[in-house]
Amino acid sequence: MKHVDWRWVLTGSALALAVSAPFLLSGYPYWLHVAIVAYFYAILASSWSLLAGHAGQFSFAHMAFMAIGAYGSGLMGKYWGTSPLTGIVLSTVLAGLVGLIIGVLCLRLKGAYLALFTIAFSEVLRLTLNAELDITGGPNGLDLPPLLATTSRVPYYYLMLTLLLVSLGFMYWLAGSRFGLFFRSIREDEEAAAAMGVHIVRYKVLAFVITAMIAGLAGGVEAHYIGLITPNILILGQMSIVIAMAVIGGIESLLGAAIGAILIQFSLELLRELGNWRLVAFGLLLMLTLRFARNGLIYPLIERLVLYQARRAVIEGREQKAKQAGEGA
Amino acid sequence: MVDINLSFLLRLIADGLLIGFIYALMAMGLTLIFSVLRVVSFAHGEHYMIGGYAAYYLLEAFTGLHPLLAILLAGTVTFTIGAIFERIFLRPLAEEKVERPGEYAILVTFGLGFFLQYLTLALIGPHPKKTARYFDLPAFELGPITATAATLKLGTIPLSATRLTAAVIAVLLMFVMLYVIHRTWLGRGLRAVSQDKQAAAVVGINPLRMSTLAFGMGTMLAGMSGAALVPAFAWVPAVGAPAAVKSYVIIVLGGMGSIPGAMLGGLIIGVVEALGTGLLPDPNRAFAYRDAYGMLIFALVLLLRPRGLFGRQE
Repeated sequence: MKHVDWRWVLTGSALALAVSAPFLLSGYPYWLHVAIVAYFYAILASSWSLLAGHAGQFSFAHMAFMAIGAYGSGLMGKYWGTSPLTGIVLSTVLAGLVGLIIGVLCLRLKGAYLALFTIAFSEVLRLTLNAELDITGGPNGLDLPPLLATTSRVPYYYLMLTLLLVSLGFMYWLAGSRFGLFFRSIREDEEAAAAMGVHIVRYKVLAFVITAMIAGLAGGVEAHYIGLITPNILILGQMSIVIAMAVIGGIESLLGAAIGAILIQFSLELLRELGNWRLVAFGLLLMLTLRFARNGLIYPLIERLVLYQARRAVIEGREQKAKQAGEGA
Repeated sequence: MVDINLSFLLRLIADGLLIGFIYALMAMGLTLIFSVLRVVSFAHGEHYMIGGYAAYYLLEAFTGLHPLLAILLAGTVTFTIGAIFERIFLRPLAEEKVERPGEYAILVTFGLGFFLQYLTLALIGPHPKKTARYFDLPAFELGPITATAATLKLGTIPLSATRLTAAVIAVLLMFVMLYVIHRTWLGRGLRAVSQDKQAAAVVGINPLRMSTLAFGMGTMLAGMSGAALVPAFAWVPAVGAPAAVKSYVIIVLGGMGSIPGAMLGGLIIGVVEALGTGLLPDPNRAFAYRDAYGMLIFALVLLLRPRGLFGRQE
């Protein structure tokens, strides 16, 4: 008897739901907007989980790279007259370059020192964006022209969804390749990895560059969609939300982090009347997840499903073999 | 370039020095936590914030409560929060039952900070609170030194009474802490655990209890710093973050685990901030960048000398 592979059923229905969402939500443009923002956070949370969960680099500068993507594109458009598309491409490269510099500077720093250094970088960037009123617009933010010549949200929705799926696909390929193995070896034991011949410097820096570029790209697209970027996006509270999403989803799982981000963004919107209390609950959930479910809440479910399917496959294989053996005799 | 107002600069330096003592006290709490638990608490600013609110509400609720008593009680409040948190969330670290402990410690203390910050925001709201001055200065005149209830003037340099009080309280508390750490059995236990956990356990010190005490005492120092400064600032739930960043800068400057280093670091950061603000020609911009100077020194020290100016080689 052929069993259903639930992995494909679930992935397929999730994809079908995501693709048909604009039609299902056609009467509720606000919820379509929530979905776009949720995908944006999903990109940030999953790329942060590649950097922190896989490569073990607990950077608090992820929102800073995102802001470099957003401000970079906005400022290039304002002063050089570049189109939003060119601006996004150039500022993604810029975010990668800054990621390269931060990665190189952080080579000697570990654990809490790395966290503190990246907080300092992010804060200095925020203070600068706030202080240089004439260039960046200061606390009022910077206006950005729309990326797409449309007032509808639907194209943006598909754009952000594509961006999420492509970046997830890319990161999964990366995590499954030698790169991913090297990232995790650095996380587990840097000295041992170096002794085994892993080029620590190269892979640590590479992890920063790649995740910075993904964050920068997402930031550029999001800023051109919203039409405004303010330095407030860089406050530590925002970074904490991304971290909480990744941790609750499962810090070592890219998909877990992305699903965690989408679920949390939607529940934050659904519970809007609760005001700050939802963030209180959220902070408590973050601490409890860390303490009692270190792998997050979503990741173990994915794991269980994958294991279940694998076990199924083994049992089926055995049954097949027994049958053949029976026929042979 | 020459028209920098010297007395303005001196005034900023004096202000910076006074606040520097409070940051040094906070940093001492961080140092205490780090040396015993090997954890950098990312919730330190929130304990400082809660200490301030605790003092504010105690003084509101009990008119006539002595400010020093309010500061002590505020310290007790944050001690309790810190000790309970340690008992629930950091105990597995002390028992060495956690995989990748460094990562866990960063995230879980960060989560505590996030939780406390939004809890205060939800309970109290974003509107600033401010208490009256704790102590009035006696009015006198002694050559160039004059004093009124609110300010002490050294020549042309005014020192605000609230900041002066806070600095004096901070210095007193630092001496009390140094006494406790170096001259009492409790301090000896803490130092023993910070040097060698197993050896300490062998001679009958309970390292788990010392961890709880160290974390509680560290958060208590942060809370008392906040309580001492509440009359000087408009208190909002986000008030902790800049103060916490400064105490991180101080421990990095002074080296993690070095108490004299923490004191000196506090003074350096106060002066550098004052100079940075005073020397930039455009005053608005200078003010906006005030918090950035400390961070820049911090980044430089981390990069050039990761174990701090006074840190020991590990």
